[in-house]
Amino acid sequence: MSAAAYSRGTRAALGLVLPLAALAAWEIRARLGDAPSYLVAPSAILATVWEMIASGELWKHTGDSVFRALAGYGIGGACGIAMGLLAGIARPVERFYDPIVSLTYPVPKIVVLPILIAWLGSGDGSKIAVITAAVFYPTFINALYGAKGVNKLYVWSARNMGAGAFTVFRKVILPAALPQVLTGLRIGLALAFIVMVAAEMANSRTGLGHLIIAAEDSMRFDLMYAAILAIAVIGFAGDRLLVAARRRVLAGQTLGKEGAHA
Amino acid sequence: MALLEVRDLVKTFRRGTRAVTAIDRFSLDVEEGEFVAIVGPSGCGKSTFLHILGGFETYESGTMLLNAAPVKGPGPDRGMLFQEFALYPWRSVIGNVGWALEVQGMPKAQRQATAEKYLKLVGLSAFRDAYPAELSGGMKQRVALARVLAFEPRILLMDEPFGALDAQTRELMQEELNAIWQQTRNTVLFVTHDIDEAIYLADRVAVFTARPGKLKDEIKIDLPRPRGIEIKKSPEYVAYRNRVWDSLRAEVLKAREEFQ
Repeated sequence: MSAAAYSRGTRAALGLVLPLAALAAWEIRARLGDAPSYLVAPSAILATVWEMIASGELWKHTGDSVFRALAGYGIGGACGIAMGLLAGIARPVERFYDPIVSLTYPVPKIVVLPILIAWLGSGDGSKIAVITAAVFYPTFINALYGAKGVNKLYVWSARNMGAGAFTVFRKVILPAALPQVLTGLRIGLALAFIVMVAAEMANSRTGLGHLIIAAEDSMRFDLMYAAILAIAVIGFAGDRLLVAARRRVLAGQTLGKEGAHA
Repeated sequence: MALLEVRDLVKTFRRGTRAVTAIDRFSLDVEEGEFVAIVGPSGCGKSTFLHILGGFETYESGTMLLNAAPVKGPGPDRGMLFQEFALYPWRSVIGNVGWALEVQGMPKAQRQATAEKYLKLVGLSAFRDAYPAELSGGMKQRVALARVLAFEPRILLMDEPFGALDAQTRELMQEELNAIWQQTRNTVLFVTHDIDEAIYLADRVAVFTARPGKLKDEIKIDLPRPRGIEIKKSPEYVAYRNRVWDSLRAEVLKAREEFQ
């Protein structure tokens, strides 16, 4: 059979085989009644999700979590991209940031949460701040190398046509660096959700991370899975949105290379 | 007075404490409407010379006058064409051709019309909305040519523009460039390592020495225009070919020794 014989639907179905089989096995084990208590049947989890949606509880926690994640993502991403692009076109700025970024990059940003709580209190501020820090790194580094790696001839060609430094930055460096900037944003989004959950698990009275910890403490494993499911759904939706935006924005740049990225 | 006057240009590259003279007192005149090709062994500084003239590289001493004014920094009075095309992948073909005009503040309608005109000249009107990634190498270089022609520079600086193309496409592009030049009569400075290309296209061939590069020889090409590709079989053409090759041969050997 030729590769063309696999339709889009067949390919999508192929990816569903393993998860569906696992879910079915899980459901059967749980229904048979001999599963440990933390393996709540998927159908029971869905029932809990439905209940929580109806009562508004799930919306409230999800809303709090998404607000924190997006606030940190927005601030961290904006700072990371702006500083990264600047460092990419100006060597002194790159030198200024290099030691501090290199040194702190491998440190998981969640470790500064206690300090941030001491400064900013245990409300949204400290959580947003730690997410901001986590998102800054991948967006900064990708914007930096995106701007540094711009083909010299693109710049020469623009200057040859009479473009000044500002036009070169806005109309050449920016679009040329955009694919990598978007890669940084995509990594940053995943990190924003990871750090959001970690921060909420460590210290929070609301949010999906808090819900997981609270559910575990009270042995309500169905609630725990409902929270995990919500995290997975918003994380997946956010990533798909970014990928779709990327394809739209980078029309000419991804031609013939699609699939290698998305 | 010539349109372009280069006198005693000196360029030195410094790496640490080591200084290498790339160009040593190079002088050249190019008349208005003249097509001058520069040939030389690889590494002789001919591309560097074009980059200096484009305003992208510094030089130690010498003078460069374009239309009696000293050349300072990059500017649209000189239109650069690069071997690697340097088209913007995020802009459509028409967007690439019209961009220089946009930068220079031309109103949109006029810009569009000018871009269309030059796309037609290079025979790519049908591809106006395509992206560079959808074009072959030869088509990309034709778009790049339309792009520099569109902002009407005083002189075209072509840096091995067909060097990245396969042999057949290269031959076709030479023919096409000759036909386009026949219409536009731009002043052109064309750097190449290909003797055939130089003789076929140019009114005059300037031979660079091996590094440090300076002017070794100037050969006027008195072949009739317009030139079809069949002219490459004429005895006059073959005589020019031998003449340029004799001049270049010693330099190529010298350059090779340096690399060994």
